[in-house]
Amino acid sequence: MRLELRDITKRFPGVLANDRISVSADKGEVLGMLGENGAGKTTLMNILSGLYRPDSGEIVIEGTPRTFDDPAAAIRAGVGMVHQHFMLVPVFDVVEAVALGSEPVTGALGTFNRAEARRRIVELSEQYKLNVPPDAKIESLPVGVRQRVEILKALYRKSDILVLDEPSAVLTPHETEELFSIIRSLAKAGTTVIFITHKLNEVLAVADKIVVLRRGRVAGTTTPQETSRQALANMMVGRDVELIVPKGPAKPGEVVLSITDLEVRDDRLEVAVKGIDLDVRAGEIVAIAGVQGNGQTELIEAIVGLRAVDAGTINIAGHDIGHPSPRMVSDLGVAHIPEDRGRDGLIPYMTVADNYILDSYHNAPYSRRGVFDLKAVSERARQGVEDFDIRTPSIETLAGALSGGNQQKVVVAREFSFPVKLVVAAQPTRGLDVGSIEYIHRRIVEQRDRGAAILIVSTELDEILAVGDRIAVMYDGQIVGILEGESATYENLGLLMGGAEFGVGTAA
Amino acid sequence: MTTTAAPGGEGVSATTTSARPHHEGLAARRALRNARIRGAVFLAIGVYAFYLASSAFSTPASFLFRFFNTGQERFEIATSVGLLWLVSGLASALVGGLQLWRGAAFRWRPWLFVVIAPIVVAVFGALLDGTTANFTNVLRGSLELATPLTLGAMAGILSERSGMLNIALNGKMLVGACVSVIVGSVVLRFTGNVIVSTTIAIAAAMAVSGVLGLLLAWLGIRYKVDQIIAGTVINIGALGITNFLFLRVLGRNPEFNTPPTVAAMQLPILSDLPVVGPILFSLRPYVYIALVMMVVLTYFIYRTRWGLRLRASGEKPAAAGTVGINVIRIRYQALLLAGLICGLAGSYLPLATAGSFQMDMVAGKGFIALAAMIFGAWHPIGAFGAALVFGFADSAQALLSVLGVAVPPQLLNSVPYVITIVVVAGVVGRVRGPASAGQPYEQG
Repeated sequence: MRLELRDITKRFPGVLANDRISVSADKGEVLGMLGENGAGKTTLMNILSGLYRPDSGEIVIEGTPRTFDDPAAAIRAGVGMVHQHFMLVPVFDVVEAVALGSEPVTGALGTFNRAEARRRIVELSEQYKLNVPPDAKIESLPVGVRQRVEILKALYRKSDILVLDEPSAVLTPHETEELFSIIRSLAKAGTTVIFITHKLNEVLAVADKIVVLRRGRVAGTTTPQETSRQALANMMVGRDVELIVPKGPAKPGEVVLSITDLEVRDDRLEVAVKGIDLDVRAGEIVAIAGVQGNGQTELIEAIVGLRAVDAGTINIAGHDIGHPSPRMVSDLGVAHIPEDRGRDGLIPYMTVADNYILDSYHNAPYSRRGVFDLKAVSERARQGVEDFDIRTPSIETLAGALSGGNQQKVVVAREFSFPVKLVVAAQPTRGLDVGSIEYIHRRIVEQRDRGAAILIVSTELDEILAVGDRIAVMYDGQIVGILEGESATYENLGLLMGGAEFGVGTAA
Repeated sequence: MTTTAAPGGEGVSATTTSARPHHEGLAARRALRNARIRGAVFLAIGVYAFYLASSAFSTPASFLFRFFNTGQERFEIATSVGLLWLVSGLASALVGGLQLWRGAAFRWRPWLFVVIAPIVVAVFGALLDGTTANFTNVLRGSLELATPLTLGAMAGILSERSGMLNIALNGKMLVGACVSVIVGSVVLRFTGNVIVSTTIAIAAAMAVSGVLGLLLAWLGIRYKVDQIIAGTVINIGALGITNFLFLRVLGRNPEFNTPPTVAAMQLPILSDLPVVGPILFSLRPYVYIALVMMVVLTYFIYRTRWGLRLRASGEKPAAAGTVGINVIRIRYQALLLAGLICGLAGSYLPLATAGSFQMDMVAGKGFIALAAMIFGAWHPIGAFGAALVFGFADSAQALLSVLGVAVPPQLLNSVPYVITIVVVAGVVGRVRGPASAGQPYEQG
């Protein structure tokens, strides 16, 4: 069905999330919606799926204006949404999870007609080659299959318009390819697909038409044939950006971080890091690629002293870390940019200045005999704000009130405020706009050229390829391959990240 | 695939990294070790039972069963404590052996019953120490005492399956008990009809408890009051109000505290069956209502559309909300139903057992019902089984104290709590409740 959004405006307190946005998609068309975090993509889609109501503007389906008071109304109108965070009940089996909300029933008691639901699900799964096991429990399925269950959910509701919100965030490159072929076959069968993403390659690969959103407005409409990565990036940011930070060749020096035979358990006490050996030298950037949840988080937490080591050793700058505390590691000259800045990076309800001294408040010049030297604190914090171009009204502003990019700059400014020997950065640019990404990458390369050893974990291959001098791929708690930066490509990294078929299986 | 080994031999390359298969076996090895420990424990219990048997063959153990509801015909199982211990030992040894033989694949949980049941009988025999016990009464008592717990647990299951913690069961039962007594007494005075007054008394108790259920939902959903705190407020409020009514009204005007009573009901034909008739089919209607409710709830929760939506609301309300399900309405419905059931459970205490209202007469049964809910893994049938175990402990304690056996009653009264701790701590396998219970849900 043809979908048109006309002049959609949505205002939240203090933010104009959608400003007179107009887009349209024809029957059987794949519309790629590209934009940075905060560009208004998700707000627009929540309006389309009935979760929010627009302040003004209208949704027109097949020429008829519609208003959606709740998600049920949007579903009835044929709009199916696949959320970024899966909306599946983990303890349900596939039949229950898919049928939920549109259950076939029999009898006066409303008995759930499982057989009927199962029949339709199997039928759809075969028709669209989704390959979903109908009786498996959701929690036992890999994420790629869960996503196909989400798509099945939309098809089950006879959706003619399918909205996918950042669908590739949790997928391996191989699974993403599979998803794209499903999208293409759905479009061929007449479904209108709206594909929301911030990844340039993906819209170029799968979309028929591309709409770029910037700060709540449509910044441009184009097609993959007439645009390029660079043009899209410029359109997204609104100025010319460098997608790849210029950096010279690495000059590896002595080993700063040496990990041998490391084993670490996760929160459920399962072994998550299964025997890793890795050296990181001064003056080089080692980037660890891999799909989320393959032990990267636990590896980083073990290195910075946040997680107990089960077996093996971690040596930082010549010191064996037995039972480390985060402060001990920090005192060795380790900067840590954590994965989740809102939780581990800073304290949102404290000021920028307080966050700036979070790791060194107990030392001179900030404290003397247990009493703060407030003048020194504000002087240094002001300096940090200036050096790192942090856009904040003042250093007394609460850190949580800043934009994501500026919050991350506070973290980076703090971590780089003392000379560092080792930088451990997990997802350092997650959720940031292209401009901030560029800035953070530049700062990290600067630390490398100063002679620091850098270890970066990222799930974004663009980031890995942009900064890594050496690239290690983690799969199922192990390093399944290390490549030189120049020889790494999307293809060979993708194969290693899919480990099951190519990495561990053939290497063993 | 083009992979380049890192220069200088440091680091690893794709070709030299080997999968470490022993990690894949870690969970299996742990399971095997646990299986061995479990088997050894069962065997040790068996050996200890044999040791106890060796010195107890001279102690007689006799259990009486009434044949019929009327008449004096009895049927007696006379044996010795030693023999009971011997049976217990054999059962334990058998299960221990099976466990060791089958290893980690052994599904041991159902077999736990085979181990524990004879031990309970043997302990009972040993405690009686030769005195003859009337087992018909003990088993009848188990079912009767399990009834308010079962009903309370059903209310708890409904609430928590919808995503609302409900620790106010106790308070709602208490208010239900008080209301049923006052309304029942008044109506009985005016009509003189036991059946009419009982029905109205129970209906009134259910209505008031239902309102309390809605109050809890309103506090938790509309104002997002922490559900534990809201429940505690209702519990404390219920205690205060009923104490006040008892001291100021019921205590001074006994005519308000003489409700109709519910007598045991002889089910036609079935109650004439030998042995099982008196145990299973001559009980108060409450027992049968609780059993019917167990079956009905099981069907509704696991076989109907409403049940599917109820469970989704408790597990992942966002998933339900995004497919157009009104999670808030389901939670209100569930708490209203839970309140109604609590009222019924509360009315059991004065109308079926005590014959009048007393201060704090619920005495923590609401909390034991929650324990039964957890022990029963949030499943109506499981919860009934758990309530039965607790009811048996209660009933056995009553018998032992009548016979003057020196067991501190506090010890047996603590059985539900001890079992709950063991279950919650995961010793007898992990149980998992609804994932989102207690978390407020923001709709739209």
